[in-house]
Amino acid sequence: MGVARTLTINGDAYTVAVEPAETLLDVLRDKLHLTGTKKGCNAGDCGACTVLVDGEAMNSCLLLATEMEGKAITTIEGLACATGGDADAAQLTPLQKAFVHEGAIQCGYCTPGVVMAATALLNRNPNPTTDEIKEALAGNLCRCTGYAGILRAVQRCKSSSCRVGTAHQSGHQPAGAASANQHGGQCPPYNSVGVSIPRVDAADKVTGRAQYTADIHLPNMIHGKILGSPIAHGRIKRIDVSQAKALPGVVAVVTGADVPDTLYGVSPARYDEHVLAKDKVRHVGDPVAAVAAIDERTAEKALGLIEVEYEELPAVFDPLHAVAEGAPQLHERYKRNINTHVDQSFGDVEKWFAESHCVREETFTGNHVYQSPLEPHASIATWDPDGTLVLYSSTQVPHYVQYMMAHVLHLPLGKIRVIRPAVGGGFGGKAATTPLDLCAAILSRKTGRPVKMVYSREEMFHYGRGRHKQYMKYKLGVDRQGKIKAFKSEIYLDGGAYTSFGVVTAYYAGSMMPTLYHIPNFKYDGYRVMTNKPACGAMRGHGVPQPRFAFECLLNMVADDLGIDPIEIRRRNAMTPNTRTVNDLDIGSCEFRATLDGAEEKSGWNEKYRRAAGFSPRGDAGDQGASQDETGRGLQSARGNVRRGIGVGCGGFVSGAGYCIYRGQVQLSHEKPQEHFQKRSIFPHANAIVKISEDGMAAVLLIGAAEIGQGSDTVLTQMCAESLGIPVSRLRIRSEDSDISPLDLGAYSSRVTLMAGHAVSRAGAAVVDKMRPYAARMLGCDESEVVARDGKLFVRQKQGSGTFLPPAADGDAAGTGGDKKGPDPFFCPWEEVARQYFNDNGPLVGTGCYKPPEGLGGDYKGATVGTSPAYSFGTSVCELSVDLETGKVKIERFTDYHDCGTAINPRAVHGQVEGAIVMGAGETIMEDVQFDERGQILNPNLHGYLMMTIKDAPEIFSGIVDSYEPRGPFGAKEIGEGSTLPVLGAVAHAIANATGVWIKDLPITPEKILNAIREK
Amino acid sequence: MYIPDVELHEATTLEEAAALMNRYAPDARLLAGGTDLLVDLKTGRVSVGHLVSIKRIAALRGVSAADGSLRIGALTTITQLDRAPIVQQRFPSLLEATRQMAAPQIRNVATVGGNIASAVPCADLPPILTAMNASVVLWSPKGERAVPLETFFVGARQTVRSDDEVLTTALVPKMPPGFGAAYARFALRDGNAIAVAAVAAGLLLDGSNMVRDARIVLGAVAPIPKLVESAGAELVDQPPTDNAFHRAADAAMRAAEPISDLRGSADFRRELVGVLTRRALTSACRRAKEPR
Repeated sequence: MGVARTLTINGDAYTVAVEPAETLLDVLRDKLHLTGTKKGCNAGDCGACTVLVDGEAMNSCLLLATEMEGKAITTIEGLACATGGDADAAQLTPLQKAFVHEGAIQCGYCTPGVVMAATALLNRNPNPTTDEIKEALAGNLCRCTGYAGILRAVQRCKSSSCRVGTAHQSGHQPAGAASANQHGGQCPPYNSVGVSIPRVDAADKVTGRAQYTADIHLPNMIHGKILGSPIAHGRIKRIDVSQAKALPGVVAVVTGADVPDTLYGVSPARYDEHVLAKDKVRHVGDPVAAVAAIDERTAEKALGLIEVEYEELPAVFDPLHAVAEGAPQLHERYKRNINTHVDQSFGDVEKWFAESHCVREETFTGNHVYQSPLEPHASIATWDPDGTLVLYSSTQVPHYVQYMMAHVLHLPLGKIRVIRPAVGGGFGGKAATTPLDLCAAILSRKTGRPVKMVYSREEMFHYGRGRHKQYMKYKLGVDRQGKIKAFKSEIYLDGGAYTSFGVVTAYYAGSMMPTLYHIPNFKYDGYRVMTNKPACGAMRGHGVPQPRFAFECLLNMVADDLGIDPIEIRRRNAMTPNTRTVNDLDIGSCEFRATLDGAEEKSGWNEKYRRAAGFSPRGDAGDQGASQDETGRGLQSARGNVRRGIGVGCGGFVSGAGYCIYRGQVQLSHEKPQEHFQKRSIFPHANAIVKISEDGMAAVLLIGAAEIGQGSDTVLTQMCAESLGIPVSRLRIRSEDSDISPLDLGAYSSRVTLMAGHAVSRAGAAVVDKMRPYAARMLGCDESEVVARDGKLFVRQKQGSGTFLPPAADGDAAGTGGDKKGPDPFFCPWEEVARQYFNDNGPLVGTGCYKPPEGLGGDYKGATVGTSPAYSFGTSVCELSVDLETGKVKIERFTDYHDCGTAINPRAVHGQVEGAIVMGAGETIMEDVQFDERGQILNPNLHGYLMMTIKDAPEIFSGIVDSYEPRGPFGAKEIGEGSTLPVLGAVAHAIANATGVWIKDLPITPEKILNAIREK
Repeated sequence: MYIPDVELHEATTLEEAAALMNRYAPDARLLAGGTDLLVDLKTGRVSVGHLVSIKRIAALRGVSAADGSLRIGALTTITQLDRAPIVQQRFPSLLEATRQMAAPQIRNVATVGGNIASAVPCADLPPILTAMNASVVLWSPKGERAVPLETFFVGARQTVRSDDEVLTTALVPKMPPGFGAAYARFALRDGNAIAVAAVAAGLLLDGSNMVRDARIVLGAVAPIPKLVESAGAELVDQPPTDNAFHRAADAAMRAAEPISDLRGSADFRRELVGVLTRRALTSACRRAKEPR
């Protein structure tokens, strides 16, 4: 049907049949399999599909392929340099190399588009200013990096003098993101740990070679789509799929009648979702039917031919209304729509409120924030002839997906192979099994063909699982010095239509509050309420960011009331190491005060904040501080109307949940015996295998930890290489396939660095243990004296302190060392020992695993939520300006210090902080999923749902304080989620400081600011 | 999110385009840059059986200047307009529209003609062009007509252009000495954002620093780019003082017909109109006083 067109792509002429309405993007990806160009929004909002047409950057989703004849099209695949060279430099342009080395890449899904846009800029303007770079990249959304690394990379590439770094440039400090490791100049005692190596997947991602789920094409594959409910609440009276089935190209149609009766979800006590609606729909977009067809376009067309007759039911969208008697009920089992009620009380809040010097009560409201990873959710299912389900899924939690597929499809877990290709960001939105996973499997079983299913951007919003909007009523009592005496919290969480993670969310919203400050008396009432909106789930900082925002605001208000500096009041209440909190959480390492000190000093807090008289949230008018940059923003802000503000916020998070989401052992849940909860892990949460190649030259690390862009493959490689005693370059990681790699619970609760880090370190150590007898024999020493480092095995030197000092590596190939004074410097090559082991025993393999400590948490209901082996801490200072005439906020600068224990890869830590700040700041001032009165989402796209662009992102300084967590591998703990938590409060405080009014309702939009100023 | 089945016709001449439109209208749309239309087709906002692409009509491209006036071919992209030396040198107020519009990838494709003819209420070029007394040329087989922009727009996404007419050119007349224009816009983020409210101002000062003519045009707060004559009347025969600008701003606020939507309430938009009117006038006045 299509017309043959000849397209010139990367210098090659491709003749391809093109439909009249086909976009260049679809032709590139689906017909030519040039999948480096990504589909992020399909509407010109995100820039992931950017290509060059005659040298100019364009969104290929908005170009008709037919009209591209005669034009020179360049895609990411066309950028490669012809010159080879060392592995590091091969095939990358100077710009791509700069992306690799400046931390410009995380999940990598936006990367090809950003690289193309930046290439167009540099070709036209080899020496752009910072503003010109930002302007050129304003059409490329990035959800991971906060744009800081991207900006550094392009700046580094300015003019022709693009310097190319080497693979291991530990000393490199980017401007604005310097490590503040206070090691006092002392070298960390490791080779691979603590070093800012480039990501192990960077080259794949910067060239477009990394394959995400939607990039994968299997032979004979067909494509599925899901029909969602058009109404928010209703009963299905009739479904007629006959017309859809009759459409040429349609292979199968399934409805609720064709899927198992088994309910699924996340929290085992509240499985309440069917794969496809059996009788009721509970939100707009609730899955009703699914179609598989020869292509996605046909499947989409078929959806329109399915006739569904609904009996519309009254719907409820506000959780405060939903709990009223007589409100429409979503599920029979949740009376008054209360999905979960948390009732926790520690100490005696009422007594201590009475004895407090100052008591303040405030209410705060959060917003509907959506993770919006750049890569839409996607799944491909296919069944092997032996009945094994093979599922490719864009997921953070391959094991839980495997577990849930087993549960719904009644298959043993062993008959399910989950493959996690490259994942383009998750932030919690990919932490559950999706209808795509389940429908793809069901349609594939029915048709006998591989089925691919990908959400559109709009469908992502309807699937939901974003942050819960929370309504928070807080009461805080402090003594004369500002020491917290009692804190009471009542929270209503808008849960949406299903439970998903929500039980845990409701508990987290309370349990994390006493981890940051000493709170001797604490009461928490939480209600998660069902409403006719997409289900909410876990998002970065799970349940905590809005309560933390509210608490930080309230603490600042109290500090103002008492005339105490906001940082000082935090110092007086700050958590201290080795503390058991009032709700029985065990804090180990804690350098919270160091983060306060660092942020205070680096930001110039004392000078900038104290200038506001009486510490009231009042800023100086006009130009405050000569050190401030000129930020002339043209007409948008006549100078006299601009006020600057500064604010502080703090936060921290768990380093991995102390308990697995489900109880019992790894087993089909239908067959599980009823068992009581035990305060210990039944099975290891992280498991690793290290396999050494037969020549001893390479090691392969197998672990099912989910790399979703956060950098887990890289830090796990570093930790494993360290324990093996070989350079990172000799280790490869395979984490994507459950057939290859042992179970890891996945990327949620900031657990990977600590838990998977232990597993890989132990697996590496197990390998070295097996090598010891051989090395000892060769070295003539005791097994216990053998140490592996730098690809060699040494005898540990017994000097003074007993610390190991490797002999100078002088390249003596004979392995006798240069110094002949004794046997101590003697070493043997790592690979030689490995070969000898193999000769005698066969494969050299080590395994390692990690179970969280036993007995974590108290003995009350919900005591498990919030437990963790370790906790992170951080402080952020935000500086911004507010245009008092329009309410426009310009977030100018962030100064952040974090206690993440040992930074395994400081660059990766800074990358998490930079990304969290931009996400968190956007969340505070612009992000909000909006609904109309019928439950329709008003902004299910990336021009209505606003995330910060590179032009909105602030300058960021990220510092890491010296810290060591004894329960973490190499002293490490988490960074990914904790880094989000201080941000919201800091922004809100700075706005209050600039305007003189507190806005307690997120997002703090210009309109709310103007209204608040008017009502002042 | 696929463009439904549609026939694509690639016209190489205006005559061909008009003939195709005559044949298929109303089931047809002209396609230029397509950055709006293709999204509208994907989302179902627009549904037609035929697209008549005019991209191959070379005569519609390019920016030229004659006697101080500016001729902008309809297929000129926003980027091409922005980079045109004459615009960079002489028309800074146009750059305020081109540089805040969407993102580079869009500006490299979207056309001046499309930005005008689509008549989307929040489009950035129509207000500033109207403030500068611009007109558009509509070509049809029956002949050409020039339409002042202030009479071109009829309603949201509606204009006086008939189906077989092609918008070929935007004409910006020579700016007399003492004329200055400016465009002020408010959006919810700094990059790639749609205007929540916008105001363009054109101000003509005479030798004794009195306002001889003033044009205030509102964007995104009415179904069409709205020329507010009452605001201009507040300024004419007055010196360009802040007080006068305030009065004009009040008139502009009264004239605005904003709606409430996800980007802001009607009240907020009206308030923005006041602020932006003053800012646009201040900037336009500064330019009017610059020696040329």
